Amino acid sequence: MTPRSVLVVGAGLAGARCAETLRAEGYDGELVLVGEEPFAPYERPALSKEFLAGEKGASDLFLRADAFWREQRIELVLGQRVASVDRDRRTATTTGGREIGWDVLVLATGARARRLPFETPRGVHVLRTLADAVALRRELIPGARLAIVGGGFVGAEVASTARKLGVDVTLLEAGSVPFERALGPELGAKLAQRYREHGVDIRTETAAAAFETNDGHVAGVVLTDGKTVGADVVLTAVGVEPAHDLGHGLEPPVYSCGDNAGSRGHWTGAAAEAVDVARRLLGLDPLPKQHPFFWSDQFGLRLQLVGETADAEAVEVEGSDDSFVARYRARGGKLVAGLASNRPAELGGLRLELSAA
Amino acid sequence: MYRIQIDRSLCSGFGACAEIAPDIIELDASGNATARVGVSDDPAVLDAAAACPMAAILITEEEAA
Repeated sequence: MTPRSVLVVGAGLAGARCAETLRAEGYDGELVLVGEEPFAPYERPALSKEFLAGEKGASDLFLRADAFWREQRIELVLGQRVASVDRDRRTATTTGGREIGWDVLVLATGARARRLPFETPRGVHVLRTLADAVALRRELIPGARLAIVGGGFVGAEVASTARKLGVDVTLLEAGSVPFERALGPELGAKLAQRYREHGVDIRTETAAAAFETNDGHVAGVVLTDGKTVGADVVLTAVGVEPAHDLGHGLEPPVYSCGDNAGSRGHWTGAAAEAVDVARRLLGLDPLPKQHPFFWSDQFGLRLQLVGETADAEAVEVEGSDDSFVARYRARGGKLVAGLASNRPAELGGLRLELSAA
Repeated sequence: MYRIQIDRSLCSGFGACAEIAPDIIELDASGNATARVGVSDDPAVLDAAAACPMAAILITEEEAA
């Protein structure tokens, strides 16, 4: 039965795409999207890249123009979050004191940046929200010394942007090369070399143990081996954790999608889950399953990975340092993932090769 | 018949459409999705549009001429 009212908690990509898909597939009832940040749904991936670089402003990031939400009759309740849910009465109460009734509840609360387990002085940032990016951008002035804890995608992309802005960058990576788990040791070594060529001081097999401070502001990072990296500003980019567990089982009429569910921080995965949930609660067939995908823009490379590298035993690389394709094969030669670096036109072919494998 | 329009200002080249409906949508040299044909009767275009993370594909149903 089609619900009369749907409340989507979380106005990130997953919440937005879920609401949009409900309307696109003909749902005509009440539809409310509650978001903690005071902004309409926006494109988070740009925060570490074009937005941080000053190439895009906040208004360039919105997934849809304001008029779209009005025309689609999707009510945006922004700047507050859902504080409690009453499952028996089927209501939710926001931190702004508003009570919203629902027939179906979709939890798309997303993820928040994980923090280090010790006290963080002023000058130590995370990057997850637009507000985080604004605060970080203010400190990335030419000649500033930035230490980044964590060599994952956010860390690497901020390192790339900061170097363009004339900032000194030290990148701390726990593994022996960056992206060892995601892309394998060969590609990881290739990327580490590239970071060095772009002037990044990359320190591997190390982690932050504490911060040095000067008058309450960060002055450096003390590493696990006792060495210290001087820093005027620090970014901790050590992954995300699901945000705001509203403590509910996930049987209908309660659904979940996005980073708080299973999409593991992968942007397109969150979108796919959101579409899937919207279709499921309208009783529509699921879409054909797609291969996992993510991308990253860093140090002049657009990296696009499709598939799962976890079971790869060997990687074949063809092309140059700037422009290449890597094929990841499992034992027996079966293709399990493909990476295109500055070869955007080949992504479609890689997807089809994977489907045929 | 389905008329296929791709908003190139939204397309980010993720390629989900080219995986779901490879006979109808491909990635061009710069990695943007491009329709091989203007109209198609293959319902896979509906799935391709629904799966686009950027919601960049607009399908309109047309009466067959």
